[in-house]
Amino acid sequence: MTLNIFHVALIAIGYTLLLFLVAWYARRRFEQGRSLVNNPLVYSLSIAVYCTTWTFYGSVGKAATSGIDFLMIYLGPSLVAFSWFYILRRIIRISKENNVSSIADLISLRYGNSQLLGSLVTLIAVLGIMPYIALQIKAVVTSFAIVSGVSDHAIKLGAPESSITLPTGFALALILSIFGVIFGARRRPTTERHEGLIAAVAFESVVKLFSLLVVGIFVTWYLFDGFGDILNRFQSQYPQLFERLFTLKAVQGNEAIRSGALCVQEFCLLVNHSNPVLQNDVIPSSTMLLMSMGAILLLPRQFHVMVVENADLNHVSKAMWLFPLYMFLINLFIMPIALAGILQTGSTTGADYFVLSIPLRAGNESIALLAFLGGLSAAAGMVMVESVAISTMLLNNMFMPILVKFIPKQWFPLVLINLKRIAIFLVVFLGYFYYRAVGDSFMLVNMGLISFLASMQFLPAMLGGLYWPRGNKSGAIIGMALGFIIWCYTLLLPSFYGTTTNHHIIEHGLFGISLLKPTALFGLTGMDMWSHSMFWSMLFNIGAYIACSLLIKQGEMEKEQVRRFIGKYETERSQLKSTAKRLSKPVTIPQFIALMGKFIGPDEARRSMSVYLKGRKLDEENMVPEFELPAMKRYVERTLAGSVGAAAAGAIMDSYLSDMGSRMESVYDIFSTVRASLDQSREALYVRLKASEIINRTLNLQTIMDELLQLLLKEFRLDSALIQISLNSDAKLAVQSYQGSDRRPITPEHWYQESDPYIRMALADQRTHFVNDISNIQEVVAMPKTSAEGFVSFAHIPIFREGEKSLGVLSVYSKSIRGLFTEEFVNLLTSLTGQLAQAARLVEEMQAKEQERKEKEKAQFDNAMVKRDMEIAEQIQLSLLPATPPVLSGVELAGRCYPATYVGGDYYDLFKQDDHTIDLLIADVSGHSVGAALIMAEVRTLLRAHAGRTISPSSILATLNSQLYEDLTRAELFITMFYARYSSATGRLSYANAGHNMPLLYRIGAERCTRLDAEGLILGIKPSVIFEERSINLQQGDTLFLYTDGITEAANHEGELLGIEKVCRHLFLNGTLSVDDIAESFHELVKEYMQSSTPQDDISMVVMKIVA
Amino acid sequence: MLRSGGRKLLKRLDLRESWVIFFVLGNVMLNFPFLKIFNQPTTLFGFPIMYLYFTIGWAISIGVIYLFASSSEPEAPDQQTDEEESL
Repeated sequence: MTLNIFHVALIAIGYTLLLFLVAWYARRRFEQGRSLVNNPLVYSLSIAVYCTTWTFYGSVGKAATSGIDFLMIYLGPSLVAFSWFYILRRIIRISKENNVSSIADLISLRYGNSQLLGSLVTLIAVLGIMPYIALQIKAVVTSFAIVSGVSDHAIKLGAPESSITLPTGFALALILSIFGVIFGARRRPTTERHEGLIAAVAFESVVKLFSLLVVGIFVTWYLFDGFGDILNRFQSQYPQLFERLFTLKAVQGNEAIRSGALCVQEFCLLVNHSNPVLQNDVIPSSTMLLMSMGAILLLPRQFHVMVVENADLNHVSKAMWLFPLYMFLINLFIMPIALAGILQTGSTTGADYFVLSIPLRAGNESIALLAFLGGLSAAAGMVMVESVAISTMLLNNMFMPILVKFIPKQWFPLVLINLKRIAIFLVVFLGYFYYRAVGDSFMLVNMGLISFLASMQFLPAMLGGLYWPRGNKSGAIIGMALGFIIWCYTLLLPSFYGTTTNHHIIEHGLFGISLLKPTALFGLTGMDMWSHSMFWSMLFNIGAYIACSLLIKQGEMEKEQVRRFIGKYETERSQLKSTAKRLSKPVTIPQFIALMGKFIGPDEARRSMSVYLKGRKLDEENMVPEFELPAMKRYVERTLAGSVGAAAAGAIMDSYLSDMGSRMESVYDIFSTVRASLDQSREALYVRLKASEIINRTLNLQTIMDELLQLLLKEFRLDSALIQISLNSDAKLAVQSYQGSDRRPITPEHWYQESDPYIRMALADQRTHFVNDISNIQEVVAMPKTSAEGFVSFAHIPIFREGEKSLGVLSVYSKSIRGLFTEEFVNLLTSLTGQLAQAARLVEEMQAKEQERKEKEKAQFDNAMVKRDMEIAEQIQLSLLPATPPVLSGVELAGRCYPATYVGGDYYDLFKQDDHTIDLLIADVSGHSVGAALIMAEVRTLLRAHAGRTISPSSILATLNSQLYEDLTRAELFITMFYARYSSATGRLSYANAGHNMPLLYRIGAERCTRLDAEGLILGIKPSVIFEERSINLQQGDTLFLYTDGITEAANHEGELLGIEKVCRHLFLNGTLSVDDIAESFHELVKEYMQSSTPQDDISMVVMKIVA
Repeated sequence: MLRSGGRKLLKRLDLRESWVIFFVLGNVMLNFPFLKIFNQPTTLFGFPIMYLYFTIGWAISIGVIYLFASSSEPEAPDQQTDEEESL
């Protein structure tokens, strides 16, 4: 029985709408930032796109005809899942880093962005996938025919007599192409991820699993009584077949189905043919296992869903068991269905469609329809993903290399998206044409295996690329090309066998050489077509890959990629410096944005760039630092790669740069030898070592600077180097050292003065300013003289210690090398200037210390000089005092003076006026400085002038005051003085006092001593003073004691003064002693009282005793 | 208790190498001459021995992957991969 065609069509359309709904919802969720697709379950289901109509229909056919070995196609991928932890994760990581959009991209990227390789991979993919898509079309067309009963593979439109017919296959191809366009090429994204497509594919995977399970359960438990029942019945009905289906015949394949009774379409075709070589043996299980193991990763659509559409690396570990589980479930009922089909129909004819025909035979429409939808799902999902994946490859690796020859225009994005749409149609229709050509002569599974083997050609280049550092481009290209040619010759060509009339090559070999027979190449017979083709193609592919890789050298680009792909992948990658290359002419950010805009649209370009800049704290307005440029260029290239593929992106970037007059050039490798440590080359270490040697050898800053510059000139190819330093903070910069060529006098006209703006910038922001190519300098800072001298690059490095002001600038110039200043070199120079700053600071500190020491010495010397002078002054001053008291009859006299320091302000004197008269005076100039001593000398001189004149003591004081007033005022000093005159003839003492301590008089028999008081102002206060003059008669035994305040104001440790009372008392007790003894006793008194031998103040006294 | 013991055992097996060992083991078991052991038309409980071997072996292998993949998940050895920005 069949179903109504419109019924079926309606259900199919409804199902299609549901698919679109799923895709639309996924896309919406993604745009809301709540991705539906970003989870391991969906990821695993999308990988299940592996299970196509081949699985859905073909597996049953395979199981029914050749038996259990159909499982190999699923056991292989399941086994490979063990290796995903290594291989798949690594591929995904590399792909994400490089925005890889297809397997062609990845392979061409690994081999130095080779466009040729990319094109070759694409070609193989496009041709290789042809039978696979044909398989899907065939399956759907046939299943549609079975379900709806439409024969002739065409749907008649309109009235039955109408001549317009629409071939089902063509219609299907058209619909599938449109599907592909809608899901995969609706608009041009920057990355190749399609949320909607993946959601739809995952949904389809659920549908096909569900429908196959339902059919399986229906067949096993509804039509039969469980699997055991089916097996029992089958074993009893077809014991021979049972044995054959449940054993593998890999070893002795020749004894296969010769009987012919169970021959299936193409087997019959080939077996019946007269040429025994074309016998189609059963494919050994190992061949299928190997092919499926390769296919799971290498088929373009598998690569697309597993790698390109992978949202999170961590999904892999879940998919590792979820995907095999899916395959396990979907295969669970294949065998029961196959056996049940044979049991029901009695033959294996049409075994490919048992899934559909058994429910139909049982009259269960809905299950048949479900099965049809499952098959449709399986086909649609595969064709959609495959066409999207391959169209991406076609666009990036076939169309782009041609397109990039043109100058990018604003309409480019439009062209690209339409080219991609055309590519999708191309891929699907190639499959359709193949189906038209050979479709009916092959079983589904065997068609699929042709594609599997084509994708196997990627295996050596892929695995070698990931794990073999020496694998190179030429090896990959030659190996892959040879493998592809052999595949074409030994598998694709014979696949047309049944459909062409010209069998000459297939039967007799090329040019009639039997050794070149496609199915028995070089005389290799006894193998099935697939194993035979696999053996030869893989032999040549792997052989050529290894041989060429060993014989031919890798290119520069390749070597860099090898480091990215292999090596100590995890550790080394982060240390890959972006400074290996530099842009000879800087490109600005707006220029980059404009370039990207031409391929991915201006808005997307701006957004993409701002993402990049945000992560790097850069500003769109600013110039990009030179070291940033290569990294930014790589980012732009990578962004483009997401849209046009790696090889094309590289080509676009190259042609863009060359249009700009810029190019990537190798950085002059100043550190050419092997790196001694991770971040420093041996040279850099050597120079650092040398520099610290120089710095530690001497403290002469000039020598350090000169030698440092010489070292730089010698080690690096510099032509001039100079150091400008301002030695103290306010001084202007001055050239302190100049080494290298062109040592002309340094004048304001010297060429280096042109660098002044850079130097000032370096001083101010304490960063290195350098120009790697003088011809790139903008007009603002023109340097005509410098470039006229032939300099091409220069750098100015500030000399400073961390956290301090810049001391100066080191400037280096090169005449020979553009691009000399790499990040590494600049770092080295910066560290050298750091050391220099340290040394300069050290020298400065040493000099300061030296200065201090000298000053101290001088002070000590000066001090000694002063001390000597003071000692002399002391001697002189003491000599000014009366050496011995004058002799006067009836009077004993004694005078003492003990200065507190070398010189003092105390003064006493004794003049003998005549034989009976003596003048005695005691004075105290304020302070005990040298000034006081000088005034004292002056007083003495003035008094000596009066000696011999008989004017009264009061007049003497008055005269003295007026004479000294000005000097004292000027010196801010004053004098207290007691002046007395004693006449031994009369026994009368007349005296006047200018504010001095009142002298004491001790009289024998008196109870206490008398103070001699007289009114009078201190000398030097007023210009003119009148002094009171008093007189007293002295008797025999009277002792007069004149003293200065050094005695009365002597203080003990508690700060108590000696005081006049104690002095009085002392005089009272000792008044009977001789004058000298009295004087000594007072000195002792003071010393004892102070408990110190050095007086605080000058001590002076005069003692006079009347003896007769 | 049993669970944590199993986890410890899995850890001791050193996950990275285990994947390689399983892969190689699987390849050996899915090829001749190993397959020859089961390549005979005898049945066990009515099921052909080869069919049982494939089906049960497959289920076990999925279980093994599940165990190892889930035990390696929390501290997946190379998860430090979002460093691209630092390049």
